[in-house]
Amino acid sequence: MWQGLREELKDSNFEIVTIAADAKGSGAVEPFITAAHQQHPSLLDENLRVAELYDVRNVPAIFWIDESGRMVRANDPVYAQRRNRETAETTLNQEYLDAVRDWAARGPESAYVMDETRLGARLPNLDFDDVAAAASFHLGTYLALHGHPDEALIHFKRAHSLRPENWTYKRQAWNLGDIERDYGTSFQEALKDPASGPFYPPLDLVEASGG
Amino acid sequence: MADATVLYQDRETRVKGAGSAGDDLWMPLSELKAISGWELKPEGVCKDEVCVPVPDARRQAMIRGDQFNLTEFARLIEQPVAHDENTSVWYFGPPAWEWKSRLTSRLAPEFTLPDLSGRMHALSDLRGKKVFLLFWASW
Repeated sequence: MWQGLREELKDSNFEIVTIAADAKGSGAVEPFITAAHQQHPSLLDENLRVAELYDVRNVPAIFWIDESGRMVRANDPVYAQRRNRETAETTLNQEYLDAVRDWAARGPESAYVMDETRLGARLPNLDFDDVAAAASFHLGTYLALHGHPDEALIHFKRAHSLRPENWTYKRQAWNLGDIERDYGTSFQEALKDPASGPFYPPLDLVEASGG
Repeated sequence: MADATVLYQDRETRVKGAGSAGDDLWMPLSELKAISGWELKPEGVCKDEVCVPVPDARRQAMIRGDQFNLTEFARLIEQPVAHDENTSVWYFGPPAWEWKSRLTSRLAPEFTLPDLSGRMHALSDLRGKKVFLLFWASW
């Protein structure tokens, strides 16, 4: 898990911060946090407002922030461990952990630091429909948590149609309702929806050579 | 005139005497600051150091007597608004100058969030360190 990395890099001016972007709040996430014996700041973003600020379109989403507060990688869809589908064996994601180690050691000289073009691809400029989708999502979440599931559905569906590539809006809405009953689909079917684009973007750990 | 619930990003207010007509939300001018943080001054609609002048052409659509049209103001500053008719709940998102510049500077957006014990943590507390920031969820 990430804690091992934190321990290893504790003398490299390095800190891990995790944020649970989860409308069900501490009740839903506390068991995970407790089980992991987390030592780093482990924070709760119950209204997903900070997830909105970072344009988190799915989880996990990892950002690297340098000493001056600038982002040098954004929206990496990475777990600390990998699971082999055939053998169900779990191994550490060494390739990514090594990339983090490299950044901790070399800072801006690290090949894993993204340049402006690559960052721009991970953080597209927002248009009005994007923020309108966020408004509908937040309204839907409020209504779902205040006993108005039918009304919530209207606004969640509007958010999904305005910003189909945002899986956070979908997965949180499904979690607050029922994907089959309310949305007439299944997770496997939703993954195939061409309007949604990929569930996770390609990791693109280093810049493609020759490109 | 009826009650409405206004979610002005993190601020939730129950507004008595609100009037909604289609996509418009009128409310007593006296409630404006409590609901939104904005207040009407001679130079415009102001909050902290920001003052938004009200164009003459839109004044009539925004201010009538002691009533203020919060949605017309939202259109002026390009705030997204979502409205649920059945429950009379309104959500107002951030103004254009916040969302248009949010990520283009590549500065990591500042936040302050609680941990499980309620202790608050700000990203800026970690300035001078490399920060590995991970979002996750139970869903």
